[in-house]
Amino acid sequence: MLFVDSVDKYYGNKHVLKKASLQISEGICYGVVGPNGAGKSTLIKIIASIIQDYKGNVQFTEEKLRIGYVPQEIALEETVTAQENLIFFGKLYGLRGDLLRNRVKEVLSEIGLTERGKDKVRTFSGGMKRRINIGCAIMHNPKLIIMDEPTVGIDPQSRRYIFQMIEQFKIEGRTIIYASHYMEEVEQLCDEAAFIDRGQIIESGPIDMLINRHAVPAIFVKGLNSLPDNMEGLGSVKNKDGGKLVTTNHPLQAMEIILQHCKKTNVELERLELVKPRLEDIFFSLTGNQLRD
Amino acid sequence: MNAVINLELKKSIQDKGLLFWTLALPIVFTVLFISVFTSGLNEEESRPIILSIVSGYTIMFVFFIMISMTDSLLKDKNIGMVSRIASTPLSTYSYLLGKWIPYMYIIFIQIVILLLFGKFVYDVSLEQPIQLFMISVCLTFMVTGLGLALSVIVKTLNMGIAITQIVTLGGAVLSGLWMPVEMFPDFLQAISRLLPQYWAHQAFQEAMVGTLGGGQFLKILLILFGVGLAAFLVAILRYPNFLKQAKG
Repeated sequence: MLFVDSVDKYYGNKHVLKKASLQISEGICYGVVGPNGAGKSTLIKIIASIIQDYKGNVQFTEEKLRIGYVPQEIALEETVTAQENLIFFGKLYGLRGDLLRNRVKEVLSEIGLTERGKDKVRTFSGGMKRRINIGCAIMHNPKLIIMDEPTVGIDPQSRRYIFQMIEQFKIEGRTIIYASHYMEEVEQLCDEAAFIDRGQIIESGPIDMLINRHAVPAIFVKGLNSLPDNMEGLGSVKNKDGGKLVTTNHPLQAMEIILQHCKKTNVELERLELVKPRLEDIFFSLTGNQLRD
Repeated sequence: MNAVINLELKKSIQDKGLLFWTLALPIVFTVLFISVFTSGLNEEESRPIILSIVSGYTIMFVFFIMISMTDSLLKDKNIGMVSRIASTPLSTYSYLLGKWIPYMYIIFIQIVILLLFGKFVYDVSLEQPIQLFMISVCLTFMVTGLGLALSVIVKTLNMGIAITQIVTLGGAVLSGLWMPVEMFPDFLQAISRLLPQYWAHQAFQEAMVGTLGGGQFLKILLILFGVGLAAFLVAILRYPNFLKQAKG
């Protein structure tokens, strides 16, 4: 559906996007993950046709008219009503008459603001503004929805509502590009992801594949003063949450050793569990922990 | 483009500050200054002063629209609206026109109301209505064109306000909107003739009393239209840079 091929972008002398390449299939949620200033928004703006002076190619199999862009900022006219904002964007996408009126009703219902359609946006909470921000981008029923940090600064209820909307978009077969620095959101919502750091896409692919490829399994033990001697060399150990986190390529073997040790010494364990690797751990293992100021 | 025009008009109608700047304040100033400068003068002596103040203050106050235009475009830029609109099928130039045209309506209505105020309250004559109409149209085009150029050039509203004050108040003094240019030294009179406000003032006064000749009328229309067109071209040239700075 979308091919991004060797895209380079400079701001003055600053090389903010370096040979970025992506391939996004139809009907999936694709996460673009990275710290602030990594180049996510630049890449998103290039895909959304906002930035047009770049090197490389961006190709769509869909017509560009079927793209909806949800910016990071709440880009709404706050002095008019939610309904008037939707009408405004609907008209920009060419909707008129009954089609426009019906679509306004549908979108207000989709974003859970039917009752507040005639209220001015400035009276809305942050979460409601975020939802109307999304509503404006889907007025024309786009096949591809590009979302740039859509959940920044909102309450958990609104965040959950937005997640449900995204799940619904996926059920409807729409493609979503979801840029965020909240990696747990990307892990929860997306099928595939690309890690971007310092303007470079450092890894991309299906989330499960990324985890399998890069994550080192670990176990968490609580209730042991010291680990058994025969565990040495099995992996690295660090203290965490009052217990020990053992990162090892042989987690089941490590668990077995611990259980046998406990049996022998009559120690009752508080916790022993396999730790599921997270996207965030992979990102840090690929990029390091240092600040990106 | 109509969607942008409608939204901008809706916002402007709700803006009570705009009503104050465009109508209330100029009317108060006109009444106040006419009463001060005509105090103790007879009817015949008062006429030219009233004529100069009504037309001069109309011209001066239309320039304050540049602040509203700057505010509107900078807000759009800073809240991500400009970027968002750039992702829609609306062309950037349609957006720019959509932001411009509503202010043309506002300024034209402002000029008409202020001139009619002069007519009905001070019995100012409007002898050449077609010429007055055409001058008003070109003045509207010029002022809003300057406002558009300013909006895409400045980075902050404070800078926009500062430049508007210089153009409005500095221009008003130098072009004889506050006092007759005949009172100025020669070099200042020469500067006056470089300012579009001076020509608009001359045209308004002459068309009001019915003495605006065809050649002079066309010359002044061209001056006002030319300044407006130049400002619009500047706005178009600067717009890509404005878009680059836009958030979102």
